[in-house]
Amino acid sequence: MGKIPPSFRTAKLPLTSLLKNPQSLPKQSPNETLDQPHRHFPLSKKPIKKKHQSSLKTLTPSSQNPNSIAFNSPNLSDAKKLFNSIISTSPFPLDLRFHNSLLLSFSQISTNSDSLSFLRHMIKIHPSFSPDLSTYNILLTQSCNSPSDPDLSAVRQTLDLMVTNGFPPDHVSTDLAVRALCSVGREDDAIELVKELSLKYSPPDTFTYNYLIRHLCKTRVLSTVYNFIDEMRSLVCLKPDLVTYTILIDAVCNSKNLREATRLLGVLGEAGFKPDCFLYNTIMKGYCILNRGSEAIGVYKKMQEEGVEPDLVTFNTLIFGLSKAGRVGEARKFLGVMAEMGHFPDAVTYTSLMNGMCRKGDALGAVALLEEMEEKGCSPNSCTYNTLLHGLCKSRLLDRGLELFGLMKSGEMKLEASSYATFIRSLCRGGRIADAYEVFDYAVKSKSLTDVSAYSVLESMLKSLKKAKEQGNAC
Amino acid sequence: MLPQQAKKAIAGSPKKLANLIDLVNLPSTLREFVGQSQISRLGCFMHVWSYIKTNNLQDPNNRNVVNCDEELRSILLGKPQVELSELPMLIKLHFPKEPK
Repeated sequence: MGKIPPSFRTAKLPLTSLLKNPQSLPKQSPNETLDQPHRHFPLSKKPIKKKHQSSLKTLTPSSQNPNSIAFNSPNLSDAKKLFNSIISTSPFPLDLRFHNSLLLSFSQISTNSDSLSFLRHMIKIHPSFSPDLSTYNILLTQSCNSPSDPDLSAVRQTLDLMVTNGFPPDHVSTDLAVRALCSVGREDDAIELVKELSLKYSPPDTFTYNYLIRHLCKTRVLSTVYNFIDEMRSLVCLKPDLVTYTILIDAVCNSKNLREATRLLGVLGEAGFKPDCFLYNTIMKGYCILNRGSEAIGVYKKMQEEGVEPDLVTFNTLIFGLSKAGRVGEARKFLGVMAEMGHFPDAVTYTSLMNGMCRKGDALGAVALLEEMEEKGCSPNSCTYNTLLHGLCKSRLLDRGLELFGLMKSGEMKLEASSYATFIRSLCRGGRIADAYEVFDYAVKSKSLTDVSAYSVLESMLKSLKKAKEQGNAC
Repeated sequence: MLPQQAKKAIAGSPKKLANLIDLVNLPSTLREFVGQSQISRLGCFMHVWSYIKTNNLQDPNNRNVVNCDEELRSILLGKPQVELSELPMLIKLHFPKEPK
């Protein structure tokens, strides 16, 4: 809720997607590594692409031997040797993308200075290769990726290098740098760098800005985030948009600070934004976390007044909140309401409702709901089964629990830690130790839990059972 | 005991975890049974339990009870019959607390 889908961002920048799985790159076979640019630069002209591919085909077999360990060692001289051998064996001219992907895969395992030397070496050996902004962005990302770098010295060096070579960083560079810094937990440095870059070169775009805000909300106190917003507003007139406000409200709701959320809602209205469905869902979630069902319904009514069309998430949140607050009857009514409005309840809806019923002790009703759900063509997921298992155990319906467990087993569903523990405990109390061992085996085999946690639950349950027996009050 | 508490107890105490997964030099009786000179308490439990399963040693009438064969008897205090619920405790006996 209120989150920007990752696809939003990566689609726009070829380079970010190139960096998406940095770990997997060096391990790939050379053929695949060289193929990378095709996938990530879909806009490149076709003739070049064909030429490039054909060059690869002839290239790979001849240089197979040195290539099969492509950039396995962070050693600079090895990399240079490898590059020389590729250059000397390739009958076709190699283009920029090839060099970039080589540099990228080397930079992922080497140090910053080594990558720079490697780039210089490539320029020296192969003069027709002229690095562009994307090449320097690779170096910039690498310098941001190192976990410790006091005063941003390595980053500044790279930035200076970019400027002297005629490629001042743009908003793409800013984005890459911010993401790299945040991924290694250097948020303060990221703030520093964004401020510096906005003043000297180019301000971040809204995606970078919102990404950073969201990351700060997760890792820093709220005042830091507000300071950053104020500073950006005074520095480059970058104002928070509706997405930013949604992120902020989500953050304060998660920390149960609803007063602040209400204040933000006022600020947002003053700034001329109209809350959308996303935002209402976020606020509703905030109330649901606090078990305030009436307010959640209030939000729903407000949406109707404002003419905002509720979506599936709205109903799921509402049903979840009401079930959690123990108002299952009302939650069930909304199941009908949402069907009327053309939204089909999904596994999440039903599972929330079952959870509410189980909390009330109506596990059998929840099982009946499972049948109803399957009749309507909605297939339950492992969370549904775990909820039911938990509920059945709590209501001491062990046989039904075992039956359900059989279903889970045949569906190869994973057990969750809490339902596993409850199930084991009820089995042990019911004197069905052998069954408990079977459940333990399944948990280990299906990799639902680690061996250690699965065993320690079993052991502690048996231990407490023994204690209870000694005290003469075993159930 | 609540499951959350049990979980916390494990997560919160590295000593208990170490006690479960650290490799220990085995006494000779156990060494013969396991076929290794070192094993963790968890590994030993898994080994014994899978031994029981593969040899069908659970009593057919009451599956909570294990009828020990010769080898199993040698490591489980010589008992002819062992309850499954006792198994972790019996295995723990082979892994005494290390003196500080």
